[in-house]
Amino acid sequence: MDKCHCGAEPSVFLNYSNAHLCQQHFIHMFDKRFRATVRNNQMIKKNDRVAIGLSGGKDSMVLLHSLAELKKDLPFELVAITIDEGIKGYREKTIKVAKAECVKLGVEHFVFSYEKEAGKTMDEIVSDNSEDIPCSHCGVMRRYLLNRSAREVNATKMATGHNLDDMAQTIMMNIMRNEPARLARLNEPMLKDAKFVQRIRPLMVTPEREVAIYAIMKDIELERMECPYARFAFRGHIRKMINEAEEKYPGTKFKIVNSLLEMEDALRAKYSKGAVLSACEKCGEPSSSNLCMYCKTVKFVNRKLV
Amino acid sequence: MELVFDNQKMDKEFVGPISSLLRELKVMREEVVVKVNGKLAPETLKVGKNDSVEIIKVVFGG
Repeated sequence: MDKCHCGAEPSVFLNYSNAHLCQQHFIHMFDKRFRATVRNNQMIKKNDRVAIGLSGGKDSMVLLHSLAELKKDLPFELVAITIDEGIKGYREKTIKVAKAECVKLGVEHFVFSYEKEAGKTMDEIVSDNSEDIPCSHCGVMRRYLLNRSAREVNATKMATGHNLDDMAQTIMMNIMRNEPARLARLNEPMLKDAKFVQRIRPLMVTPEREVAIYAIMKDIELERMECPYARFAFRGHIRKMINEAEEKYPGTKFKIVNSLLEMEDALRAKYSKGAVLSACEKCGEPSSSNLCMYCKTVKFVNRKLV
Repeated sequence: MELVFDNQKMDKEFVGPISSLLRELKVMREEVVVKVNGKLAPETLKVGKNDSVEIIKVVFGG
Protein backbone atom coordinates (compact mmCIF):
# COMPACT_ATOMS: atom_id res chain seq x y z
CA MET A 1 0.00 0.00 0.00
CA ASP A 2 1.16 3.55 -0.74
CA LYS A 3 2.50 5.64 2.09
CA CYS A 4 2.08 9.30 2.92
CA HIS A 5 4.54 11.55 1.05
CA CYS A 6 6.48 11.84 4.33
CA GLY A 7 6.95 8.07 4.44
CA ALA A 8 4.57 7.49 7.36
CA GLU A 9 1.72 4.97 7.36
CA PRO A 10 -1.38 6.65 5.96
CA SER A 11 -4.64 7.15 7.83
CA VAL A 12 -6.64 8.57 4.94
CA PHE A 13 -6.95 8.11 1.20
CA LEU A 14 -8.24 11.07 -0.81
CA ASN A 15 -9.81 9.35 -3.80
CA TYR A 16 -10.32 12.57 -5.77
CA SER A 17 -6.59 13.30 -5.78
CA ASN A 18 -5.26 9.76 -5.32
CA ALA A 19 -3.31 10.87 -2.23
CA HIS A 20 -2.53 8.88 0.90
CA LEU A 21 -2.02 11.04 3.98
CA CYS A 22 -0.86 10.32 7.51
CA GLN A 23 -2.73 11.94 10.39
CA GLN A 24 -0.32 14.84 10.67
CA HIS A 25 -0.45 15.71 6.98
CA PHE A 26 -4.19 15.24 6.73
CA ILE A 27 -4.70 17.75 9.55
CA HIS A 28 -2.23 20.10 7.88
CA MET A 29 -4.09 19.79 4.54
CA PHE A 30 -7.46 20.33 6.22
CA ASP A 31 -6.35 23.43 8.12
CA LYS A 32 -4.62 24.88 5.06
CA ARG A 33 -7.73 24.39 2.91
CA PHE A 34 -9.96 25.92 5.63
CA ARG A 35 -7.82 29.02 5.89
CA ALA A 36 -7.51 29.35 2.12
CA THR A 37 -11.31 29.22 1.79
CA VAL A 38 -11.72 31.96 4.39
CA ARG A 39 -8.98 34.07 2.80
CA ASN A 40 -9.81 33.62 -0.90
CA ASN A 41 -13.49 34.40 -0.32
CA GLN A 42 -12.71 37.28 2.08
CA MET A 43 -15.00 35.67 4.60
CA ILE A 44 -13.63 37.25 7.76
CA LYS A 45 -12.17 40.70 8.17
CA LYS A 46 -10.34 42.28 11.08
CA ASN A 47 -12.71 43.10 13.94
CA ASP A 48 -15.64 41.10 12.53
CA ARG A 49 -17.96 39.59 15.14
CA VAL A 50 -18.66 36.10 13.80
CA ALA A 51 -21.64 34.12 15.06
CA ILE A 52 -21.47 30.38 14.39
CA GLY A 53 -24.68 28.48 13.87
CA LEU A 54 -23.78 25.70 16.31
CA SER A 55 -26.02 22.64 16.21
CA GLY A 56 -23.57 20.38 18.07
CA GLY A 57 -23.21 18.12 15.03
CA LYS A 58 -19.80 17.35 13.57
CA ASP A 59 -19.75 20.14 10.98
CA SER A 60 -20.54 23.02 13.31
CA MET A 61 -18.29 21.59 16.02
CA VAL A 62 -15.35 21.36 13.63
CA LEU A 63 -16.19 24.86 12.40
CA LEU A 64 -16.16 26.11 15.99
CA HIS A 65 -12.75 24.58 16.61
CA SER A 66 -11.28 25.79 13.34
CA LEU A 67 -12.52 29.35 13.84
CA ALA A 68 -11.31 29.33 17.44
CA GLU A 69 -7.87 28.40 16.08
CA LEU A 70 -8.02 31.04 13.35
CA LYS A 71 -8.93 33.64 15.96
CA LYS A 72 -5.47 33.20 17.45
CA ASP A 73 -4.00 34.68 14.26
CA LEU A 74 -6.71 37.07 13.14
CA PRO A 75 -8.39 39.67 15.36
CA PHE A 76 -12.11 38.89 15.32
CA GLU A 77 -14.77 38.01 17.87
CA LEU A 78 -16.47 34.64 18.01
CA VAL A 79 -19.86 33.74 19.50
CA ALA A 80 -22.10 30.72 19.00
CA ILE A 81 -25.84 30.48 18.41
CA THR A 82 -27.83 27.28 18.74
CA ILE A 83 -31.37 27.02 17.45
CA ASP A 84 -33.34 24.56 19.55
CA GLU A 85 -36.07 23.17 17.29
CA GLY A 86 -37.56 21.13 20.14
CA ILE A 87 -36.96 17.63 18.77
CA LYS A 88 -37.05 15.24 21.68
CA GLY A 89 -34.30 12.64 21.88
CA TYR A 90 -32.19 14.53 19.36
CA ARG A 91 -31.68 18.24 19.86
CA GLU A 92 -31.24 18.24 23.64
CA LYS A 93 -28.30 15.84 23.25
CA THR A 94 -26.55 17.95 20.63
CA ILE A 95 -27.19 21.17 22.58
CA LYS A 96 -25.48 19.60 25.59
CA VAL A 97 -22.42 18.81 23.48
CA ALA A 98 -22.47 22.33 21.97
CA LYS A 99 -22.70 24.03 25.37
CA ALA A 100 -19.86 21.97 26.83
CA GLU A 101 -17.59 22.78 23.89
CA CYS A 102 -18.31 26.51 24.11
CA VAL A 103 -17.39 26.47 27.79
CA LYS A 104 -14.19 24.58 26.98
CA LEU A 105 -13.21 27.07 24.25
CA GLY A 106 -14.39 30.17 26.12
CA VAL A 107 -16.96 31.07 23.43
CA GLU A 108 -20.14 32.88 24.44
CA HIS A 109 -23.14 30.71 23.62
CA PHE A 110 -26.74 31.76 22.92
CA VAL A 111 -29.72 29.44 22.49
CA PHE A 112 -32.94 30.42 20.72
CA SER A 113 -35.87 28.04 20.62
CA TYR A 114 -38.77 27.46 18.23
CA GLU A 115 -41.06 27.10 21.23
CA LYS A 116 -40.22 30.52 22.60
CA GLU A 117 -39.89 32.35 19.29
CA ALA A 118 -42.61 30.70 17.21
CA GLY A 119 -44.90 29.23 19.84
CA LYS A 120 -44.40 25.54 19.01
CA THR A 121 -41.71 22.87 19.06
CA MET A 122 -40.89 20.97 15.88
CA ASP A 123 -42.35 17.84 17.45
CA GLU A 124 -45.66 19.66 17.93
CA ILE A 125 -45.56 21.04 14.38
CA VAL A 126 -44.96 17.56 12.96
CA SER A 127 -47.70 16.08 15.10
CA ASP A 128 -50.21 18.75 13.96
CA ASN A 129 -49.23 18.59 10.28
CA SER A 130 -48.56 14.96 9.49
CA GLU A 131 -49.13 15.47 5.74
CA ASP A 132 -46.35 18.06 5.45
CA ILE A 133 -42.64 17.43 5.03
CA PRO A 134 -41.23 18.70 8.35
CA CYS A 135 -38.06 20.12 6.77
CA SER A 136 -40.02 22.65 4.71
CA HIS A 137 -41.21 24.39 7.91
CA CYS A 138 -38.04 23.75 9.86
CA GLY A 139 -35.73 25.18 7.20
CA VAL A 140 -37.68 28.45 6.95
CA MET A 141 -37.81 28.88 10.72
CA ARG A 142 -34.18 27.99 11.35
CA ARG A 143 -32.78 30.30 8.66
CA TYR A 144 -34.92 33.20 9.87
CA LEU A 145 -34.02 32.72 13.52
CA LEU A 146 -30.33 32.31 12.74
CA ASN A 147 -30.29 35.62 10.86
CA ARG A 148 -32.34 37.51 13.42
CA SER A 149 -30.45 36.11 16.40
CA ALA A 150 -27.11 36.87 14.71
CA ARG A 151 -28.25 40.47 14.49
CA GLU A 152 -29.42 40.46 18.11
CA VAL A 153 -25.96 39.40 19.26
CA ASN A 154 -24.46 42.14 17.07
CA ALA A 155 -22.74 39.73 14.69
CA THR A 156 -21.31 41.07 11.43
CA LYS A 157 -21.03 37.56 9.92
CA MET A 158 -23.03 34.37 10.35
CA ALA A 159 -20.92 31.22 9.87
CA THR A 160 -22.57 27.89 9.18
CA GLY A 161 -21.04 24.45 8.92
CA HIS A 162 -22.32 23.67 5.41
CA ASN A 163 -19.77 21.38 3.79
CA LEU A 164 -19.04 20.33 0.20
CA ASP A 165 -21.64 17.56 0.33
CA ASP A 166 -24.34 19.97 1.58
CA MET A 167 -23.49 22.45 -1.18
CA ALA A 168 -23.53 19.79 -3.91
CA GLN A 169 -26.86 18.41 -2.63
CA THR A 170 -28.48 21.86 -2.49
CA ILE A 171 -27.30 22.68 -6.00
CA MET A 172 -28.69 19.41 -7.40
CA MET A 173 -31.96 19.77 -5.48
CA ASN A 174 -32.55 23.22 -6.95
CA ILE A 175 -31.72 22.00 -10.45
CA MET A 176 -34.04 19.02 -10.11
CA ARG A 177 -36.82 21.25 -8.80
CA ASN A 178 -36.32 23.79 -11.59
CA GLU A 179 -35.41 26.53 -9.11
CA PRO A 180 -32.47 28.34 -10.78
CA ALA A 181 -33.39 31.59 -9.00
CA ARG A 182 -32.57 29.91 -5.69
CA LEU A 183 -29.17 28.94 -7.08
CA ALA A 184 -28.57 32.58 -7.94
CA ARG A 185 -28.89 33.53 -4.28
CA LEU A 186 -27.26 30.43 -2.76
CA ASN A 187 -24.13 32.26 -1.65
CA GLU A 188 -25.65 35.63 -0.87
CA PRO A 189 -29.06 37.32 -1.04
CA MET A 190 -29.96 38.93 -4.36
CA LEU A 191 -30.65 42.22 -2.68
CA LYS A 192 -28.70 43.81 0.11
CA ASP A 193 -30.51 44.73 3.29
CA ALA A 194 -29.08 45.97 6.57
CA LYS A 195 -31.10 43.29 8.34
CA PHE A 196 -29.33 40.43 6.53
CA VAL A 197 -26.24 39.29 8.40
CA GLN A 198 -23.75 38.13 5.78
CA ARG A 199 -23.48 34.35 5.72
CA ILE A 200 -20.15 32.60 5.36
CA ARG A 201 -19.48 28.89 4.85
CA PRO A 202 -15.82 28.21 5.54
CA LEU A 203 -16.30 24.42 5.10
CA MET A 204 -18.00 24.78 1.73
CA VAL A 205 -15.24 22.97 -0.19
CA THR A 206 -14.52 20.39 2.51
CA PRO A 207 -16.01 16.92 1.92
CA GLU A 208 -18.30 15.83 4.74
CA ARG A 209 -16.41 12.61 5.37
CA GLU A 210 -13.20 14.60 5.85
CA VAL A 211 -14.93 16.80 8.45
CA ALA A 212 -15.70 13.61 10.38
CA ILE A 213 -12.15 12.29 10.01
CA TYR A 214 -10.76 15.61 11.25
CA ALA A 215 -13.11 15.56 14.24
CA ILE A 216 -12.00 12.03 15.18
CA MET A 217 -8.32 12.93 14.80
CA LYS A 218 -8.71 16.06 16.94
CA ASP A 219 -10.86 14.32 19.59
CA ILE A 220 -13.71 16.75 19.02
CA GLU A 221 -16.73 15.35 20.82
CA LEU A 222 -19.49 14.45 18.43
CA GLU A 223 -23.05 13.35 18.80
CA ARG A 224 -23.47 10.89 15.93
CA MET A 225 -27.17 10.77 15.32
CA GLU A 226 -29.69 11.64 12.67
CA CYS A 227 -32.61 14.02 12.95
CA PRO A 228 -35.65 11.73 13.31
CA TYR A 229 -37.44 13.75 10.61
CA ALA A 230 -34.62 13.53 8.07
CA ARG A 231 -36.17 10.45 6.47
CA PHE A 232 -38.95 12.66 5.03
CA ALA A 233 -36.57 14.92 3.18
CA PHE A 234 -35.90 14.96 -0.56
CA ARG A 235 -32.29 15.70 0.36
CA GLY A 236 -31.78 12.10 1.51
CA HIS A 237 -32.45 10.81 -2.02
CA ILE A 238 -30.08 13.39 -3.50
CA ARG A 239 -27.38 12.53 -0.97
CA LYS A 240 -27.54 8.87 -1.97
CA MET A 241 -27.47 9.73 -5.68
CA ILE A 242 -24.46 12.04 -5.35
CA ASN A 243 -22.56 9.66 -3.06
CA GLU A 244 -23.03 6.84 -5.56
CA ALA A 245 -21.71 9.12 -8.30
CA GLU A 246 -18.76 10.18 -6.13
CA GLU A 247 -17.79 6.56 -5.47
CA LYS A 248 -17.74 5.77 -9.18
CA TYR A 249 -16.39 9.15 -10.33
CA PRO A 250 -14.29 10.72 -7.53
CA GLY A 251 -14.32 14.50 -7.63
CA THR A 252 -17.97 14.74 -8.68
CA LYS A 253 -18.96 16.85 -5.66
CA PHE A 254 -16.19 19.38 -6.31
CA LYS A 255 -17.26 19.62 -9.94
CA ILE A 256 -20.91 20.23 -9.03
CA VAL A 257 -19.96 23.09 -6.70
CA ASN A 258 -17.42 24.55 -9.13
CA SER A 259 -20.05 24.49 -11.87
CA LEU A 260 -22.31 26.68 -9.78
CA LEU A 261 -19.50 29.07 -8.95
CA GLU A 262 -18.86 29.40 -12.70
CA MET A 263 -22.54 30.07 -13.46
CA GLU A 264 -23.29 32.24 -10.45
CA ASP A 265 -22.64 35.65 -12.01
CA ALA A 266 -24.84 34.87 -15.02
CA LEU A 267 -27.64 33.55 -12.79
CA ARG A 268 -27.51 36.60 -10.56
CA ALA A 269 -27.55 38.94 -13.56
CA LYS A 270 -30.65 37.18 -14.91
CA TYR A 271 -32.61 36.88 -11.67
CA SER A 272 -31.81 40.23 -10.10
CA LYS A 273 -33.97 42.04 -12.66
CA GLY A 274 -37.20 43.15 -11.07
CA ALA A 275 -36.31 41.75 -7.65
CA VAL A 276 -37.78 43.92 -4.93
CA LEU A 277 -37.44 43.68 -1.18
CA SER A 278 -39.72 45.32 1.33
CA ALA A 279 -40.45 44.80 5.01
CA CYS A 280 -42.74 42.12 6.39
CA GLU A 281 -45.93 43.72 7.75
CA LYS A 282 -45.74 41.65 10.91
CA CYS A 283 -42.08 41.42 11.93
CA GLY A 284 -40.38 44.09 9.79
CA GLU A 285 -37.77 41.67 8.45
CA PRO A 286 -36.85 41.78 4.73
CA SER A 287 -39.48 40.12 2.61
CA SER A 288 -40.40 39.83 -1.05
CA SER A 289 -44.10 39.82 -0.13
CA ASN A 290 -46.38 41.45 2.49
CA LEU A 291 -45.77 38.69 4.97
CA CYS A 292 -42.36 36.98 5.15
CA MET A 293 -42.11 33.18 4.89
CA TYR A 294 -41.34 32.89 8.60
CA CYS A 295 -44.44 34.82 9.67
CA LYS A 296 -46.55 32.83 7.19
CA THR A 297 -45.13 29.61 8.65
CA VAL A 298 -45.68 30.71 12.26
CA LYS A 299 -49.26 31.72 11.43
CA PHE A 300 -49.84 28.37 9.74
CA VAL A 301 -48.39 26.17 12.49
CA ASN A 302 -50.26 28.06 15.20
CA ARG A 303 -53.63 27.96 13.44
CA LYS A 304 -56.58 26.55 15.30
CA LEU A 305 -56.87 22.86 14.44
CA VAL A 306 -60.28 21.37 13.85
CA MET B 1 -11.47 -11.00 11.17
CA GLU B 2 -13.41 -9.23 13.91
CA LEU B 3 -15.84 -6.76 12.45
CA VAL B 4 -17.83 -4.07 14.26
CA PHE B 5 -20.54 -2.61 12.07
CA ASP B 6 -23.88 -1.02 12.82
CA ASN B 7 -23.25 -1.47 16.55
CA GLN B 8 -22.83 -5.21 16.08
CA LYS B 9 -19.70 -7.26 16.63
CA MET B 10 -19.21 -10.27 14.40
CA ASP B 11 -16.59 -12.61 13.00
CA LYS B 12 -16.17 -12.31 9.28
CA GLU B 13 -14.18 -14.26 6.74
CA PHE B 14 -12.51 -11.67 4.58
CA VAL B 15 -9.12 -10.90 3.09
CA GLY B 16 -8.62 -7.88 0.86
CA PRO B 17 -8.76 -4.08 0.72
CA ILE B 18 -11.24 -2.23 2.90
CA SER B 19 -12.86 -0.81 -0.24
CA SER B 20 -13.85 -4.35 -1.29
CA LEU B 21 -15.19 -5.10 2.20
CA LEU B 22 -17.38 -2.00 2.05
CA ARG B 23 -18.68 -3.04 -1.38
CA GLU B 24 -19.45 -6.52 -0.08
CA LEU B 25 -21.38 -5.06 2.85
CA LYS B 26 -23.09 -2.56 0.52
CA VAL B 27 -21.80 0.32 2.62
CA MET B 28 -21.08 3.65 0.93
CA ARG B 29 -17.52 4.76 1.37
CA GLU B 30 -18.66 8.39 1.40
CA GLU B 31 -20.72 7.83 4.55
CA VAL B 32 -18.28 5.97 6.80
CA VAL B 33 -14.80 5.98 8.24
CA VAL B 34 -12.97 2.79 9.06
CA LYS B 35 -10.67 1.93 11.94
CA VAL B 36 -8.38 -1.06 11.78
CA ASN B 37 -6.95 -2.28 15.07
CA GLY B 38 -8.11 0.96 16.67
CA LYS B 39 -6.55 3.35 14.13
CA LEU B 40 -8.10 5.25 11.24
CA ALA B 41 -7.26 3.48 8.01
CA PRO B 42 -7.48 4.28 4.29
CA GLU B 43 -9.77 2.08 2.22
CA THR B 44 -6.80 0.92 0.18
CA LEU B 45 -5.47 -0.98 3.22
CA LYS B 46 -5.65 -4.77 3.00
CA VAL B 47 -7.21 -6.45 6.03
CA GLY B 48 -7.35 -10.09 7.01
CA LYS B 49 -8.07 -12.67 9.69
CA ASN B 50 -5.98 -11.13 12.46
CA ASP B 51 -7.44 -7.65 12.12
CA SER B 52 -10.17 -5.90 14.07
CA VAL B 53 -12.17 -3.66 11.75
CA GLU B 54 -14.68 -1.05 12.86
CA ILE B 55 -16.93 0.68 10.34
CA ILE B 56 -18.28 3.96 11.74
CA LYS B 57 -21.14 5.81 10.09
CA VAL B 58 -20.40 9.54 10.06
CA VAL B 59 -22.88 11.01 7.58
CA PHE B 60 -26.40 11.59 8.85
CA GLY B 61 -29.39 13.58 7.80
CA GLY B 62 -30.50 16.69 9.66
